[in-house]
Amino acid sequence: MPKPSQQLSAKTHQRQNQKRQLQPLLENLHDAIALINNQGNLIDVNKRACQLFGLSRRALMKRSFSSFLTAFERESFAQSLRSGQSLIGELCLCSADRVQREVEYSLTPNILLDSHLLLLRDISQRKADMAAELRRQRQRIELFSEVTLKIRQSLQLKEILHTTVTEVQRILQADRVLIYQVFANGTGKTISEAVLPDYPTILDLEFPEEVFPETYQQLYAQGRVRAIADVQDSTFGLADCLVEFVEQFQIKAKLIVPIVQVHPQALSDQNQLWGLLIAHQCSSPRHWVEFELELMQQLADQISIALAQAQFLEHLEEVVETRTAELQEVNRSLQQEITDRKQIEAALQQSEEQLRLITNAMPVLIAYVDDQQRYRFNNKAYDDWLGQSPDAIYGSHLAQVWGVDCYPQMQPQIEAALSGQVVAYENEIVLKNGNRRSVDITYIPHRDDQQLVKGFFALTSDISDRKAIERMKDEFISVVSHELRTPLTSLHSALKILATGRLGTLSNEGQQMLAIADDSTERLVRLINSVLDLQRIESGQVIIDRQICDAANLAIQAAEAMQALAQQHGVSLVTQPQSVSIWADADYILQALTNLLSNAIKFSPQGKTVWLTLEQGQSEVIFRVRDEGQGIPADQLERIFERFQQVDSSDSRKKGGTGLGLTICRKIIEQHNGRIWAESFPKYGSIFSFTVPVLE
Amino acid sequence: MLSKRVLIIDDEETIQTVVQFGIKLAAGWEVLTASSGLKGIETAQAEQPDVILLDVMMPDMDGIATFKELQAHPEVQKIPVILLTAKAQTAERRQFNDLGVSGVITKPFNSLDLPEQISRILHW
Repeated sequence: MPKPSQQLSAKTHQRQNQKRQLQPLLENLHDAIALINNQGNLIDVNKRACQLFGLSRRALMKRSFSSFLTAFERESFAQSLRSGQSLIGELCLCSADRVQREVEYSLTPNILLDSHLLLLRDISQRKADMAAELRRQRQRIELFSEVTLKIRQSLQLKEILHTTVTEVQRILQADRVLIYQVFANGTGKTISEAVLPDYPTILDLEFPEEVFPETYQQLYAQGRVRAIADVQDSTFGLADCLVEFVEQFQIKAKLIVPIVQVHPQALSDQNQLWGLLIAHQCSSPRHWVEFELELMQQLADQISIALAQAQFLEHLEEVVETRTAELQEVNRSLQQEITDRKQIEAALQQSEEQLRLITNAMPVLIAYVDDQQRYRFNNKAYDDWLGQSPDAIYGSHLAQVWGVDCYPQMQPQIEAALSGQVVAYENEIVLKNGNRRSVDITYIPHRDDQQLVKGFFALTSDISDRKAIERMKDEFISVVSHELRTPLTSLHSALKILATGRLGTLSNEGQQMLAIADDSTERLVRLINSVLDLQRIESGQVIIDRQICDAANLAIQAAEAMQALAQQHGVSLVTQPQSVSIWADADYILQALTNLLSNAIKFSPQGKTVWLTLEQGQSEVIFRVRDEGQGIPADQLERIFERFQQVDSSDSRKKGGTGLGLTICRKIIEQHNGRIWAESFPKYGSIFSFTVPVLE
Repeated sequence: MLSKRVLIIDDEETIQTVVQFGIKLAAGWEVLTASSGLKGIETAQAEQPDVILLDVMMPDMDGIATFKELQAHPEVQKIPVILLTAKAQTAERRQFNDLGVSGVITKPFNSLDLPEQISRILHW
C-alpha cells in the first residue's frame, strides 16, 4: 500500500499527465479560452485568445480582461464576476491592435481554485452577415414598395403593365421583361415589354398555341412558377419546339410567374390564368435567386389586383356612363320642363298683367278673397277708393280693410259666399275722402276640382248715382201723382156735377162730350194710382205685413168686389173657395186677385164665365183665374207681365187698362215669395195663376 | 137723411167749391169751408160741425198736425174727422187709422158720392 505522500504525488502526476494531453487540444481549439483570477486578470490563454486580444501570451499575463472591454461593459462584467455565478452573454471586445469584435462568452467560475474559465467565440462575421441580410431584406421591401407605389399611381391597366415591366427589368437587370396575355382560345400575345436595345422586341407578337399548350395554362393557373437557368439544359425539360422558339429571341434563361385573375362574382374559387410575367436573360444563362422569384410573384399579384381594379373601374365607368346618360336625359327633360314652365309662367304673367290691366281700368272694386277671408287679389280701384294699394292689402283680412263701419254688414254675406252661395247685396261704404257711397256687391264662390269652396270673387260697384236718380224718380213720381190728384178731384167732381144736369141742361152732343171727359178722367185716375202703386212697390217703400189669413175668405172678398163689374160686362163670376191658411198681406193679395179678375172680366165676351179657384199644394196655395176669352199668343205669355206690354194696346185702351196691372201683380206675388204665370189656349181662354206659401 | 153740417179744410179753393156743390146737390147738407188748418180749427170751434173733412197735404200746417191740434181742444175733439188724401196706399191708410181718425177718403173722389161715403164711414 503506498504512503499518503506517495499517493498525493501519484495524483499530481496523473493530473499533469491529463493536462499535458489536453494542452494541445485546448491550444488549437477554434474558440478562445482564458482563465482569469478573482481580480479578473488573465492567468492563462490559448492561441485563439492571443489572436482575439492581439497580444502574445506573455504580454497577456496578469493583464486585466476588462481592459479589452468598453467602459460600460467593463463595469457590468465586474459585477457578474463578483456574483460567482455561471454566465453566458455577448460582449464587444477591443483588441490591442484596435480591432473590435463581437464575442459570445461563457463564464464558468471557480473551475480551479480562484480560477475562472472564460470561453470566447468571435461572432463578428455572423453578426455582420445577419446585418447584411437584414439590410438586403429591407432594401427589397423598399424596392417592392416603390414599385407597388409606382404601379398603384395609375388606374390605367396599360400604364400599370408598362411600369411593371420597366421596373422589373431595372431591378433584376434582366435583358427583357414582358407581360404575355393569354386569350380564351389558347393563344396569347405580348402586350407590354421592356427590352434592352441589343435584343429583338417581341411586343405584339402572338405565340402559337403549341408553345403554350392547355396543360401549361392549367399548371400556371394553379400557381406554377418556372425558373429556367438555361434553356439548353435538358434537366429543365423544355420541349424541343419551345427551345427552338425561344432561341429566335436569343433567350438563354427565363423566369415565368403567372398572373391569375380572381373573379369576385365567380361561384367557384377557381382562379383563371390571365397572363404571365416573364423575365428573359439573353446575354447568358442565369441562375434565378429566391428574391427574384419572390419579386416577380409579388408583382404578378399586384397586376392581378390592378386587373380586378381595372375591371371594377371598367364596371364603374359603365355604371357612371349609364348613370350619366340617365342624368343627362333627366337633365334634358328637366331643362325642357323648366323651359315649358318659363313659357307658361311668362304666358301666365302676361295674362295676369293683362288681367290686371283690364281690372285696373274698371271703375269697380274687383278682388279675390281666400277661405280665410284674406285678400289675394285686388285691382287698383281699391287704391283710388279706399286709399289702400293692392300690395298693401294683399293677405289682409277683410275686417282690417273695411273696419267696424262696414265689416259687420258684410260678414253674414261673406259667410254665405264661403258656404258656396252666390251673394248679391247692397251696402254703404266710406271712401278715403270720407264720402259715403252706396255699393252693389256680388260674391261668386270659387270651387276647386273637389267642389270645395276655396274663396270667392268679389265685385263692388258704386251705385250711388243710380240710387240718387232712383230716389229722384221716386220722388218725382210721388210728387207728380199727388199733385195730379187734387186737380183731378176737382175735374172729376165738376164733370160729375155737370152731368147731373142740375146746373143746366146740355144738348145730346154736349152730354156725349161730357161722358168722354168723364171716362177719360176716370182712366187717368186709375193710371195715376197704378203708377204710384208700382213705384212704391219697386222702391221698396211698401211693407208687406204678413198675417195668417184664409185664402177662401180672400177669394170671396175679391169676387164680391168684382161682381158689379162682371154684371156690367154680362159675365158670370164663379168661385170655388177652399179654406186654407196662408201667410200673406191680405190687402195686397186682394189687390192682385181683383186685378186679375178685372182683366179676365174685361177680356171675356158677353155670356161667358170667369172662374176663381184655389188648389192646395205641398207648401203653397195656387190661386187660378180662368177666362173664356180669345187667349194670349204663346210668345207673349212672359212679356205681358212687363209694364205697358198689353197684347193689343188699342184693345186694352178700349177696356180701360193701364198696362201696369200685371206688373203690379207680379211685384206683389214676388214680395210674398210666390210665383205668377199665365197659360193660354187660343180661342179657349187663358189661366192666370199665382202661388202663396201656406202657413206651416 | 137728416141735414148735416160739414166742414171742409183744404188749401185748394177748387176742392172747397166742388165739395160744397157736390154735397149740396147730392144731400142738401150745409158745407163750411176753411183754407188752412188754423182757420179750420177756429171754424170748428165756432160752428161745431157734424164732421170735418181734412186735407192731408197742406202748406204750413198739414192735415196730421191739424188733426192733432183738434184732438188737443176738448170742445172739438169729439167731432169726427175724415182725412182727404192723395196717398192711397194701404200702409198709409193704416198709419192714418192708427192716428184715431174716423176714416180716409182718397183723392180723386167724386164729390157727389161724398154724403154717401161719409154716412157709411160714420154709420149715420
